[in-house]
Amino acid sequence: MKNTFVKKGLVGLVSTALVAAFAVATPSAAQAADLTCTKASTKVETCTGTDANGAKFEIRMPSNFNGTLYVYSHGIRNNVNLPAIPVIAPAGELINYAPEVAPTEIVATALLKQGYALAGSGVSTQGWSLEEGVDGALQVLQAAKDKYSKVSKVVAWGNSLGGLTAQAFAEQYSGAVDAVLPMCLADSAQSEITMAGDFLWGMKTFFNPAIKGFGYSAGTAGYYEMLGDLQAVLTTLLALKTAIATNPSAPAWPSTSTAGAITAIPVRSAVLLLGLISGISTQSKTYDASSGPAGASETTFSVVLSPALAVLENGAEAAALAVLANYDMERRAGGIVYDNSKTNYTTRLGDDAQVYAASLSGGTYTAGMLQYLAYSPRVTASAEAVAKLNSMYQLQGKIEVPTITLAAAADHITPGGAVTHLINQYNASISAGTAKSGKLLNIWNKPADTYSTFDASGAVTPAKWPNGVGHCQYTTTQVLTVAKLAATAAKTGKLPSSATAKAAIKNDANLFIDPNFLPPLLKFRQ
Amino acid sequence: MIRNTRTKRASLASALIAAGAMVLSTVPAQAAETTGVTATTIKLGISSPKTGSAGLVYGKLPGAMKAYFDYINDNGGVNGRKITLVARDDKYTPTLAATQTTNLVLNDKVFALVGALGTATHSKAYTAAALSKNNVPDLFVNTGFSGFANKAKYPTAFMVLPSYAMEAKIMAKFIKDNPTLAPQASFLIAQDDEFGIDGVGGFKSAGHTFTAPPTLYPQGGLSAALAEGALTKLSVVPGKPILVLFGTTDSTATILKAAEKLSLTTKFTFIAGSVGGDANTLLALGVKSTTIDGILAASFFPDAKDSTDEYVKQFSAINTKYNKGVTFDNIVLQGMNSAMLTVQALRAAGKNLTRTGLMSAIDAKGSTFASAGLVPLNYSATSRVGYNGYYFGQLNAKGELKPFGGKVSLYTTDSTSGAVTASTYVRKSIPKNGIPTN
Repeated sequence: MKNTFVKKGLVGLVSTALVAAFAVATPSAAQAADLTCTKASTKVETCTGTDANGAKFEIRMPSNFNGTLYVYSHGIRNNVNLPAIPVIAPAGELINYAPEVAPTEIVATALLKQGYALAGSGVSTQGWSLEEGVDGALQVLQAAKDKYSKVSKVVAWGNSLGGLTAQAFAEQYSGAVDAVLPMCLADSAQSEITMAGDFLWGMKTFFNPAIKGFGYSAGTAGYYEMLGDLQAVLTTLLALKTAIATNPSAPAWPSTSTAGAITAIPVRSAVLLLGLISGISTQSKTYDASSGPAGASETTFSVVLSPALAVLENGAEAAALAVLANYDMERRAGGIVYDNSKTNYTTRLGDDAQVYAASLSGGTYTAGMLQYLAYSPRVTASAEAVAKLNSMYQLQGKIEVPTITLAAAADHITPGGAVTHLINQYNASISAGTAKSGKLLNIWNKPADTYSTFDASGAVTPAKWPNGVGHCQYTTTQVLTVAKLAATAAKTGKLPSSATAKAAIKNDANLFIDPNFLPPLLKFRQ
Repeated sequence: MIRNTRTKRASLASALIAAGAMVLSTVPAQAAETTGVTATTIKLGISSPKTGSAGLVYGKLPGAMKAYFDYINDNGGVNGRKITLVARDDKYTPTLAATQTTNLVLNDKVFALVGALGTATHSKAYTAAALSKNNVPDLFVNTGFSGFANKAKYPTAFMVLPSYAMEAKIMAKFIKDNPTLAPQASFLIAQDDEFGIDGVGGFKSAGHTFTAPPTLYPQGGLSAALAEGALTKLSVVPGKPILVLFGTTDSTATILKAAEKLSLTTKFTFIAGSVGGDANTLLALGVKSTTIDGILAASFFPDAKDSTDEYVKQFSAINTKYNKGVTFDNIVLQGMNSAMLTVQALRAAGKNLTRTGLMSAIDAKGSTFASAGLVPLNYSATSRVGYNGYYFGQLNAKGELKPFGGKVSLYTTDSTSGAVTASTYVRKSIPKNGIPTN
């Protein structure tokens, strides 16, 4: 097997993923005293303001307004200023409080042209700001309605944590909105931190015990512990990347590992195991777990190497997010919120032990790694902190207005299982008589059957983001398609029929509708 | 600026709530019982390796099935319907198998799956494509992993191959009853996953104790160096030790070539499992015919080179006409046999074909279907087990599997602790011209 197969694909493994996760922020400006509106030559009036909680918001109203307003909730943002950190924040970052009115400016422009108004809050606090996000959405909606009496229909939408915010907003204030469009829906704080935390704990346990991971100290000391963890995570990931690139068949463990005898196992198998037990996708930007370079190594690459490399590529973002999100949640909740004190990772692995047996280097090695995890020190959460975390609104599936989800099963930050949970909650609510049937439509995003590319020498060639993998990596057309479906549903009060919805996506090979398609729940809920 | 705090939310929310009756839309269509069936056609699907290293071994499978279906179509089809087979290439890769199986169900809208191949691949595909929720019949899965007979977990699946556990138990019985083999030391080299573990469990269940713990390797992970090391270590064992090879054909080839390199081909009595003992593939992978000569192997089919067998004869004729240019071998035989079972199942389900009806028909009548298999089929209302037995044969230098001792001695058993018993089962004759009339 040629080492060059993986080298090129590993270049930039960490950098692009991490930088994408944490956008560079602009320092917040002084609060506006009142709504300030300006009308540009584009015939769009833009109003900005600051709500009662100090959140900045923005409203854009086109001159050809058709009566429907989209209220957008943005995804999670870093809740701490960062100094310059290679890869993660090369130029340093300040907390970003800027409002967003749509997933991208291209989408915003397109919707405005069609006569839709847009609004969004920057939210008063960043991090896992579900409650503040719901508050921000509510208040920007009020401001828009106060300012523009022609607003007759409202679509709440959002990405990632913003998707959860939009859904929570609609459930808590039924009637405030006419349709909901959660995209790349996040699951609850505990579900998400369990996924990211399991991977981070696994990195600490297998590869680098210097990673603190959990239980950050108060104040400045904790801040520096968090920064130290980011550095340790990066160092460890780079060591793994180098080891696999040097010898894909039997890559060595990082020198920081203290895992003893199990380091005889190819470290790529340990990386894959961590991905499988935490629920991180085995398909990533570069690696599809389905193809290999033409020739004798094709099957070996696709079966043995590709899933592990995908987890490593995805895990780079997941691990850094775990550090930052966990630090934020611990401060927010006042103690440790991640808990694996009773987790049975053998059960967690389940049938994946069989499916990925070749990539895990066989049943004997898999059992050895699981045994090591079983006897490694665990993390116990603070009951009070968890209770506080869970006091935030939990989705009930109390869906009363047309709701359309857009999700990718292979999303490595917010897996499609979050939608499965919503579906389960919705069905339970219908059974309990607290929700009406026929209000939830799920549109799924999938990658091409194969998308990894290889050059003539068999080396993986880096590609731009393939649609259907990655976090919220939807095309403009896809977002506009589902946005239009949601706007129509808001007007009619009904979901599009199955035939209408399928017709809307028929030209997009990466979207599909199947009422029976249910991606696995996040591990916390299994 | 909005100055009120959260206390204003309640009144705000009330103000925003607009009254209005909601008109319910229809729920998206549920699994259709007759998807893939028209008045004149039945669409079936298979996900299996057509290319890649596994494609070298199993690539002929879908073509063989299609050839048999084409033959049936030219002879009137099934209840007036022609069968089409959509074959997708999964390269023996679990993720791609899940993708392709989903494509078969959602895009190709097949009525049923038939002949899906591989344990890791199909167990992932079964869940990913929601075969259970979609109620898609999953016929004659080509793997010996006994788990697929678990009706609670795989409610639409029907096994066809005997399980690896059955095979191991019968191997153990064969060794025990053979006066030449029984006194010899015995060793196992097996794939370290459900395949090998099923086998290890089978030997244990049968009470066979190997002389040393098994040598286990991950799928695709048996290197020449590992094989040579294992054989060198065992070469000092006195006598003619038994070496049971419980892996895929490429692994068997690696071990046999290692034996050639070390001049140890006559040192051991090799027993190859049914999966790894296909002589044509071994020869294609570069194993010398003299090495193959004498290897013991288990099978439940007649040998594909046995032109005296009526099934082989008929399938071979169909292959010549409908699968031009493809050499008839054990894989082609297996594909055509599964296709013939499928035709009988479709016929048994009747003209008003539904997915549930098809599965019920196999439960009720599948054990009576005509088949090339020399051992019984075990379908019933409570069993999704296909064949449940083996006989032992010996490969010759031409790659032919000849019954050990000159006659076929059948054994049957189950995948758990049941006894291994000699069987007097006599299969049904092939339907006239190979066209079922059940």
